[in-house]
Amino acid sequence: MKDTLTKIVNVAVQKFGVEYVEVRAQKLFKSMLTLKEERIEAAKEGIENGAALRVLVNGAWGFASVGSFDTEILENAVSDACKMAKAASLKLKNPIKLVESKGFEDNVLAKPKKDPSKISIEDKIGTTLTLAKTVLRYDNRIKGCTIDYLDLVGTNYFINSEGTYIEQDKLYVWSRILATAKENNVFTFSREEVGSTAGYEVFDVETPEVVGERVAKRAVDQLKAKIPKGGTFPAVLGPNVVGVFVHEAFGHLAEADLTLSGSILMDKLGKKVASDVVTIYDDGTVEGAFGSFKYDDEGIPARKTLLVKNGVVVGLMHNRETAQKFNAEPTGNARAEDFRVEPIIRMRNTFMAPKDNSFEELIEDLKFGYYFKSFRGGQANLDGTFQVGIQEGYEIVKGEVSEPVRNASISGNTLETLHKVDAVGKDFELWPGRCGKGQTAFVCDGGPHIRVREVLVGGGA
Amino acid sequence: MAALKEEEIISLAEDAANFALRKGVSEAEVFVYEGLTTTVAIERGQIAKSSRIIDRGLGIRTVINNAVGFSYTNILENKAAIEETVLKSLKSAKASKPDKDWQGFPPKKPFAHVKNTFDSSICELSSEDLVKTASLMLEAAEKTDKRVFPVEGGIGASYLSRAVVNSNGIVGFDYGTIVECSLATVAQEAGEVTPVCFEFNVERLYKIDPEWVGMEAARQAASALKAKRVETKSMKVIFAHFALQQLLHYTLMDAVKADYVQRNQSALQGKIGEKIASENITVYDDGLLEGGLRTWKFDGEGVPQQKTLIIEKGVLRNFIYDNYAAKKEGKESTGNAFRGGYLSTPNVEATNFHLAPGKKSPEELIGEIDDGLLVYSLQGAHSSNPASGEFSVVATPAWKIVNGKITRAVKGAMLAGNVFDVIKKISALANNERKIGQLVAPWVIVENVKVIGR
Repeated sequence: MKDTLTKIVNVAVQKFGVEYVEVRAQKLFKSMLTLKEERIEAAKEGIENGAALRVLVNGAWGFASVGSFDTEILENAVSDACKMAKAASLKLKNPIKLVESKGFEDNVLAKPKKDPSKISIEDKIGTTLTLAKTVLRYDNRIKGCTIDYLDLVGTNYFINSEGTYIEQDKLYVWSRILATAKENNVFTFSREEVGSTAGYEVFDVETPEVVGERVAKRAVDQLKAKIPKGGTFPAVLGPNVVGVFVHEAFGHLAEADLTLSGSILMDKLGKKVASDVVTIYDDGTVEGAFGSFKYDDEGIPARKTLLVKNGVVVGLMHNRETAQKFNAEPTGNARAEDFRVEPIIRMRNTFMAPKDNSFEELIEDLKFGYYFKSFRGGQANLDGTFQVGIQEGYEIVKGEVSEPVRNASISGNTLETLHKVDAVGKDFELWPGRCGKGQTAFVCDGGPHIRVREVLVGGGA
Repeated sequence: MAALKEEEIISLAEDAANFALRKGVSEAEVFVYEGLTTTVAIERGQIAKSSRIIDRGLGIRTVINNAVGFSYTNILENKAAIEETVLKSLKSAKASKPDKDWQGFPPKKPFAHVKNTFDSSICELSSEDLVKTASLMLEAAEKTDKRVFPVEGGIGASYLSRAVVNSNGIVGFDYGTIVECSLATVAQEAGEVTPVCFEFNVERLYKIDPEWVGMEAARQAASALKAKRVETKSMKVIFAHFALQQLLHYTLMDAVKADYVQRNQSALQGKIGEKIASENITVYDDGLLEGGLRTWKFDGEGVPQQKTLIIEKGVLRNFIYDNYAAKKEGKESTGNAFRGGYLSTPNVEATNFHLAPGKKSPEELIGEIDDGLLVYSLQGAHSSNPASGEFSVVATPAWKIVNGKITRAVKGAMLAGNVFDVIKKISALANNERKIGQLVAPWVIVENVKVIGR
């Protein structure tokens, strides 16, 4: 592979005179299952091979993607990419520059305890069927269960015109479990995801029985839940909700491309945006976590990036282009879903750092408030408006967790809300998930339990 | 790289299907997809990127003892790779478990006739052409208001083709084009940033208006400045196209899928013939809509697409089916087996979910409201409860309407309710329908929506 890719880089530089070229080739093998109740809809396997070529010509990007490693096809694609870049440069105002990076070579091997590509389809069917059966047998009010399973193994080959060459194994194991329950005319819904870059051993850490029961129990418990009151209330957020809040409400605004697009963090570097107890990281180096990797898709090592330190914004997430603009170090946040798309700035494992409060200390002073334990979706806007849907929540009455509430969601302005975080727990959890920004990225979000003095709660009808 | 010809694609598919049958499967179905896309991207106020993406591949479903296996590959130039893919599909089918409800792939039927789904001028667009179009859009936005910053957007032109071959004699090929331009903007003034505003045009024929998109995206952002909170109470809300699409996509559009109904996951189960929406609501799933974004001769299983009445004057008439869900009830597929490409097996999806428009202009709709909101987009609609239809979302951007006039922008307003209640409270529909994803719909007024402002 190295010879082919070197040849393409040479063609781009010598024949087309590009300022910069990178080629990402991928060999991917996926294995998938979809179960609807106990029915296996289809056992699925697939191969995707392809290459992405990105060139910088006259300060503009050209990009081409093809499903082939054939030298002639790749040479045509690099010529295409150069034509694209030239066309794009016609109306260019500010030429794109990249922060410097020294060339190096590395070979990164995945070392799973249980390699998903060596596990038989029958075993994978067994695991997902156990999940489905656990959910369906939990209670006769459970009406449905949908399980998706995916594992992906393969190799990424990265080369650029600065002398960097990386071969890096890819390994992901993921599953999503959805359960619905119904009683009288009340429908409830519960969701959970399992995700790892370690290996199939993720199902030994939390067994299918444990995960299945948690999903089913939540759906059933929500049946007797009441509709929350709409309005402003104090709230304690669990690690799962803190994670999605940190990811959606803050993280996206700190992706340097969105910061430059006018997110409310644009003029906040070095300034206080949160209470003293808030410290936030985006970390690509957590071993085995769903958002971890050694090198990003621009060949930059993934780092542990401190975004907020004791309430002050100290960093952003960068690719080489934004790092140059901010005169900052690249952080290794440039990720591409696959060879069909360009790398863009994405989060990895994003979390709030724990402090020293126990859960009891967080809730004991609350006469009335909410405990939001698990989320269902979330979304943020550049102006700092965020929304997080809640799939598991409870009232807090006189300092104790009380009755469940369903279909709540919380909203507010990110910076106002971060200033209202007045206590941070000492526990810590990291949850796997998938993030959409035109492309899908595998990530983790998390943190400890935290208390927010007030947040807008959207009630039901 | 030029597009593959019909004969090449069909023979690839037939060879793969025949190879599978020779290897002893009881049934085989091959789906081939090709997409050639050229894009020009706007990022942070300028055009700085262009791309050419070629994606093609083949997916094969095989059936052994009523157990289904599937495999795909994007390596088409090599016969051995395709045969290996067929064998993987076989291996998957053997590893899978028999499905007692499996009743085979669909039978051969004449394909539908469709109009305005292909425009050769879209295939001929060069990246230079697209740069010109994108800069028209960008300049139109910049001229409209100085406080507006074009965050991202661009233009994309695609040629798509698809083929289905199955062991019941279905042999189909169809092709089409899509062109899309879009612009996302924010406005900034005195430290205030608006939420992202978004406008777009998407068509099967090369009939887009980039200047209108640019102007409209800028107008929205400028008018979203100086937003204030609203009080908490119930009021009339106009859901504009995008907001309506977001609200319905995760709820109503799932609830009409036959597999959701069969699996007890639809609030509409058992309600055929019942009044579920206000009388002014008529909805078709129209797989034949002229120039529709999801209009094709046949669906992802080779079943002819059709026009299916879903809601007639508020009364639920039909659900949508793929072949599997239909056979389970002894019915015929409604041509709603959707495939995202060669990477996946089909699933039930709406084609063009067409909510019939009303007669009033959008201005008349606004004029009818004494105290209410105009909502262009929703944040968090994907966190709705898909089974119950309950939602709790943020309206952004949104504007306050007082005495029939838009008075100011609104920030942080949450809307809560249940979609199946919302469709009963639609009191008026405008005449301004447009295509947005799977939905084709106008603006609507919904009475009595709970708005949580502070």
